[in-house]
Amino acid sequence: MRTSRTLGLIMIAPAAIMILLFFLMPVVLTAVFSLTNMSTATGISGGAYQVTQAAVNRLTTDMPELAAAIAGPRFVIDEEGVAALEALKLKPGLAAELRAEHLGEVFASRREAERVIKALKDRPSTREVKRISDLFNRSVLNTRFETRQALLESLRKLGFNLGPEEQEAVAKATYTGWVWTADNFRTIGNSPDMAQIFLNTAFYVAVTLLFFNVGYALFLALTTHYMAAATASIFRAVWLLPRITPVVIYVLMWKWLTWDNGFLSLFMGQFGYPPRNYLLDNAQGAWFFVILINGFIGASMGMLVFSSAIKAIPETQFHASEVDGASRWQQIRYIILPQLRWPILFVTCYQTLSLLASFNEILLSTRGGPGRATEVWSLAAYHTALQNYTGNLEYGLGAAMALVLVVIGVILSLIYLRVFRYDTLISKPLIED
Amino acid sequence: MRILLDKFSKSFGSTKVIEEMDLEVGSGEMLALLGPSGCGKSTTLFAICGIHRPTSGRILFGDRDVTGLPSQERNVGVVFQSYALYPHMTVAENIGFPLTVRRMAAANIRKEAAEIAALVHIDNLLDRRPAQLSGGQQQRVALARALIRRPDVLLLDEPLANLDAKLRLEMRSEIRRLQKETGITAILVTHDQVEAMSMCDRIAIMKAGEIVQISTPSEMYNDPRTAFVAGFLGNPPISFLKGMAEGGAFVFGNSIRLMLPALAAIPDGAVLTLGVRPEHFGTSGDVQVEGKVAFAETQGRENLYDVVLPDRSVLRSIQPVRNDVAVGDPVCWSLDSKAALVFAEDGRRL
Ligand SMILES: Nc1ncnc2c1ncn2[C@@H]1O[C@H](COP(=O)(O)OP(=O)(O)O)[C@@H](O)[C@H]1O
Ligand SMILES: [Mg+2]
Repeated sequence: MRTSRTLGLIMIAPAAIMILLFFLMPVVLTAVFSLTNMSTATGISGGAYQVTQAAVNRLTTDMPELAAAIAGPRFVIDEEGVAALEALKLKPGLAAELRAEHLGEVFASRREAERVIKALKDRPSTREVKRISDLFNRSVLNTRFETRQALLESLRKLGFNLGPEEQEAVAKATYTGWVWTADNFRTIGNSPDMAQIFLNTAFYVAVTLLFFNVGYALFLALTTHYMAAATASIFRAVWLLPRITPVVIYVLMWKWLTWDNGFLSLFMGQFGYPPRNYLLDNAQGAWFFVILINGFIGASMGMLVFSSAIKAIPETQFHASEVDGASRWQQIRYIILPQLRWPILFVTCYQTLSLLASFNEILLSTRGGPGRATEVWSLAAYHTALQNYTGNLEYGLGAAMALVLVVIGVILSLIYLRVFRYDTLISKPLIED
Repeated sequence: MRILLDKFSKSFGSTKVIEEMDLEVGSGEMLALLGPSGCGKSTTLFAICGIHRPTSGRILFGDRDVTGLPSQERNVGVVFQSYALYPHMTVAENIGFPLTVRRMAAANIRKEAAEIAALVHIDNLLDRRPAQLSGGQQQRVALARALIRRPDVLLLDEPLANLDAKLRLEMRSEIRRLQKETGITAILVTHDQVEAMSMCDRIAIMKAGEIVQISTPSEMYNDPRTAFVAGFLGNPPISFLKGMAEGGAFVFGNSIRLMLPALAAIPDGAVLTLGVRPEHFGTSGDVQVEGKVAFAETQGRENLYDVVLPDRSVLRSIQPVRNDVAVGDPVCWSLDSKAALVFAEDGRRL
């Protein structure tokens, strides 16, 4: 008993490892990424501390004065500057006096520093004052520090005496690497763009699913059921074509149909309409074709599933119902549809998930356009994380969007199971005699 | 209601299954379509209920020509061999389905379904699904569904084939009772001669798409028109001896002669087949036949013997139980020559 169980575990191990590696890991990694602010800018390894204008801007919201101070120039009379002054070979008294009298002094502006330099006993000329003051300009802006320690040390030397809170804020604002954050979800929750994309997705999935992947597929399955066998198979084969055509070519054909010098434009030209790009001219047209393109591909699977499910109903049930007086419509309603509950559930579930997740047809046809009219969630995630115009790929935000998609998929599946009363579908009949 | 088939033919593509069949079933009569598997019984039944269109010929219910009418407009009740119950509906819904499609009010349907269910004794099962029923119960549901719309005609396609022996016996009398109570015209398709003989007023026996004989069960048993009919009816079956006529006697094997009055008019040398039913060979009869017991079986009340004659042909005998004969014993038993059936070479009865 024990050995057989162990053997079972060993046998299942390769499959289990595969599942873990290729099915579970991506989801876990997505979840991990979604809790970071990773992007092209942050990289995916650690970062440095860089006092950029952007960092100063970030700091400004919380600590405007500190930010202004850090951004502004600083003049510090230090040994380094004095040594540089000596190297200029001006009057030696200048360097000596600065070292003796002013070493360590910090000035918040060039004017203050130059007043001191001008007042030196050797009286430098106005031009010299400018050259000398330059040597002591110690602004921290646009410098890069490898560690937080180096950043804070440098600031201290510049005369910033920062409390722990300020230190934290400065370090955070200047850090260029990725950090853990839930901001992605806040962004998703608050941004009106995201809300629009969400509505687009709901519209696209619902309409394609209802009218094509389930509705039209059911219509095809039912009509072919009542056709002669040969006609029916030709019909089904035709509807399989979109599925078996490579998607790039399939979409290209739609483009030929809808381009401004495509078939539709030529045809409408006969009636005096100017040529236009029916695909990208306006949002309604774009949706119309996006849904057709996806629906024609999606309908074939449902058609096959429903057809074979109808075939599985014993022929005598149709004979019996005819004899019982049922019209075709009543046959469909009372005999066929109730017995298609499980296939309909399956197709609805499966196609919802694949419509939510797949965007290649949209990417190849409208790219989410015109504007962002046909941008759906998965395409937006792709654009955010992997392919966008600004060049800053936001992996973290993209991952968060993908994770939202996964969660929505799971929730929808659970709702479907409830709606179709899955429990009654799988419950065993009580057999007693 | 009377059913009339007038020169009814049916082909599937180039396969001719039924050719020019004439058949009349009287009003209130129960007729058996009896024949071996594949002879076209179901095809005939399906044509009567409108599932198959006849290739030619007419089908009349009463005086109404229904040849071109779809099943929906024929008002027939059919019990299919597989019952064809709708698995997703409860028993009540199954039985009420013919009324549901007529858009009758749900409460009335339920009431009528309960009534008809009581008639076939399944009124306690109304809320079950077919999968939760035994074979016999499913059979009753199918019957109730066929009867609920008070059809003009009840058609039963091998209704008992899927039941075990005891249930078959029970349902045999049950179906006959219902048919008599409702006074409905019925056709029973079966390959089982016992079913046909015990349940029906008349039997139409079919062979390869043709009706060979139509008679009452006893007439058909005692007065079969061909060897095929004689061989099909009776259990244990009739035994056949091959021989020829010679001076009013039936001669077979190496000059075994049976004097048969029926052969007086047959010219010498005619090739014949003699049919002897098991009950006509044994303890009483006018012609003695010698042989050896090759097989013995007791059926409780009766014993069944196979007797091998010197020419190796076999006669069956059924007798009241006796213990004095065993396998291998030589016997000399009597054959009732008046009851023996004589057939010509082509199977026709003489
Ligand atoms: N739909 C059909 N298509 C072609 N041949 C059929 C069809 N239905 C029945 N047949 C043929 O007709 C013959 C009679 O069949 P059937 O009426 O079912 O016989 P049975 O007497 O056993 O009920 C068989 O040889 C069968 O092969
Ligand atoms: Mg049959």
